[in-house]
Amino acid sequence: MKNFRFILVLLSVMSIGLFSACGSDTETITETVEVIKEVEVEKPSTLETVLNRGTLKCGVNDNLTGFGVLTAAGTFEGFDVDYCKAVAAAILGDASKVEYVPLTASARFEALGAGEIDLLIRNTTWTASRDRDLANDFTATTFYDGQGMMVYADSGYQTIEDMEGATVCVLQGTTTELNLDDRFTSAGLDYTPLTFETNDPLQAAFEEKRCDGWTTDKSGLASKRAEFPATAGGPESLTVLAETLSKEPLGPLTRDNDSQFYDVVQWVVFGLIQAEESGITSANVAAMAANPTDPGMARLLGVPFAGGEVADFQFGVDATFIQHAIKAVGNYGEIYERHLTPLGLTRSGSLNAQWTDGGLIYAPPFR
Amino acid sequence: MNSIVDKLYVLSRSQKFRNLIVQFVFLIFVGLFVYYLISKALQLDITLSHFVSRAGFGISHTFLVDYSSNDSRWFAYFTGVVNTIRMCIVGIILATILGTIMGVARLSKNIFFSTLSYLYVEILRNTPLLIQIIFWQIVFLQLPRISEAITFSDTVVISNRGILLPYASSVENGYGNLWITIVVISLITSLFISFYINKREDIHGKIYKIYNYKLSGNIAGIIIFFIIVLISYFILQKPYAIDLPNLYQNDKGTYLQSGGFEFTPEFGAILFALVMYTGTFITEIVRGSIQSLPKGQTEAAQAIGLSNYQTMTLIILPQALRSIIPPLTNQYLNLTKNSSLSVVIAYPELFMVSRTIMNNSGHALPVFFLILLTYLSLSLIISIVMNIFNRRVTRIGA
Repeated sequence: MKNFRFILVLLSVMSIGLFSACGSDTETITETVEVIKEVEVEKPSTLETVLNRGTLKCGVNDNLTGFGVLTAAGTFEGFDVDYCKAVAAAILGDASKVEYVPLTASARFEALGAGEIDLLIRNTTWTASRDRDLANDFTATTFYDGQGMMVYADSGYQTIEDMEGATVCVLQGTTTELNLDDRFTSAGLDYTPLTFETNDPLQAAFEEKRCDGWTTDKSGLASKRAEFPATAGGPESLTVLAETLSKEPLGPLTRDNDSQFYDVVQWVVFGLIQAEESGITSANVAAMAANPTDPGMARLLGVPFAGGEVADFQFGVDATFIQHAIKAVGNYGEIYERHLTPLGLTRSGSLNAQWTDGGLIYAPPFR
Repeated sequence: MNSIVDKLYVLSRSQKFRNLIVQFVFLIFVGLFVYYLISKALQLDITLSHFVSRAGFGISHTFLVDYSSNDSRWFAYFTGVVNTIRMCIVGIILATILGTIMGVARLSKNIFFSTLSYLYVEILRNTPLLIQIIFWQIVFLQLPRISEAITFSDTVVISNRGILLPYASSVENGYGNLWITIVVISLITSLFISFYINKREDIHGKIYKIYNYKLSGNIAGIIIFFIIVLISYFILQKPYAIDLPNLYQNDKGTYLQSGGFEFTPEFGAILFALVMYTGTFITEIVRGSIQSLPKGQTEAAQAIGLSNYQTMTLIILPQALRSIIPPLTNQYLNLTKNSSLSVVIAYPELFMVSRTIMNNSGHALPVFFLILLTYLSLSLIISIVMNIFNRRVTRIGA
């Protein structure tokens, strides 16, 4: 009997211990949640982080000629890379203070969400699901891309309608594959899609003329065309058809709920567009800043007009941030001219022409 | 009451009891893990309801199947399964032939043949299959380009878009499937009839005679088959016509090809790679099985004056078959499973098609289950067929 009681006591003590342990666990969890909430509230904005660190971590592509490529000299170059430089110049006053992080397409969003990078500029298409589902915000469109079709120049194909019975090489499981089918099916054309998992076997097949056409984003096509090997005919043997099969607006992304940094990036993009419209280039920006021709230009460059006060937009950075960005990389037209014109991406008449020329490149007013 | 404590004490010192406790705890953890996985899976959409919606993508190889992007995802998947089965059937047949020839050659007294077989096995067995597939793709792409395609008076077209051969295609009068059904039924019927006549002759010694001529079962079967096929062909208003390959220039002057039976470089590359790779293993199986037979078998066959060829086909291989079949089944299963590597060179077999569906729909889990189930069914079918065959072979020998 004595032993039986002993066991009973032991059991009750144990259960009390168990319950109390549970209780304290819940408390700890609640406390932890509160701490996390506090941390979230007090998390410094990316703008502060960048200013404190002294460098901008920029996620880029490292093998897309024209947009982001790691050169043999070990430097990053391209249209997207210039935007990294522009943002670094605007915030830190020095375009060389960029730490480039090359990213794959599948790793890019997580790298941004996890704070591995501050800014993602890696030919990323702005879509509703990406804006909503993923922990990031699209700032503005720097390049209006779209799916295109590249064919051999000697094939005589001018439009998609000419391509009855053609074989088309495409990457599998992409929206590209679906857009391709939509276009050919709606036109009532018979075609054979040859769907590859990666680009290398696709290019090998295309070089041997296994397929008549190669379809992907026009920027990608231009890049592949520019580096098309001379042994297979070189870039001149290829043409990209004028037609665009889909909308693919590309631009920089920041993290969700990071409005200070978001605003700076967004208005650097707009500032470079406005600079082109106002005729400010990297060559004449110093002269223009010293002697602005109108109040609008003075507001853009953050300088006083005719001895008046400076219009500071309070972005949390120097009022002359657009001026620094223009000095570093030039206006939108200059960046385009430097990286995309050599690829054969004609600007005039395309969506990437200035709005005054019938394009979509348009900045809201600096006011 | 002392006894309870004593018993507990004894139990706690017992190795068996402690093992039981450890196993019980382990089982609980496994159970919890499985419960977690299942409850997670139940939160996802694990139905395949999205498979009824429009596929929306094209498939380059549609063999015996009339697929278009307007069909459902189920039909797209089915097209992929047909492509896999087509690859496996052709691959298994060719790999078996190649493996048997190479296995026999390996034991040949002729230095050339045995060295050839030795090099074949050692080189191809020891390089990754994936590399071999890509190698064969590059080789097949070296066929003439379409602008320089080789044609033989419009019956054969050879280019790196594919080798086109004459083929039959159904005329659109709606009797095509009916005729094919009749062909299949008459084939089975005539096989039965010829078996019956042959058996009657072999076992009962009874012979059918037509005007003093002996009626052989084989000839009777062939005649019956062709009579039914030809009569139904004309009754059904010629449901099939010969489909000749066509190499032509469009109005822009670009060459295109269509029609006929298409043997594409993608199919060729994956088929060659699978056959060559699996063939090496079959070679070794055949060689090992032949070597395991007592030497006396060969010597006895030679003693009664059989030629080398007769010794091999009548004495050695039938006996070796008994130890060849079980490991051969494994190789057939490997070939079937390896066919999923086609995904790298644009041959749309079931894994590639279902991955496309997965990417388009976003429901990965149920599609993966479907893929697993399909491969499992294919493997089981092969196993069952081979087991039946195996039982037959061992029974005859016994």
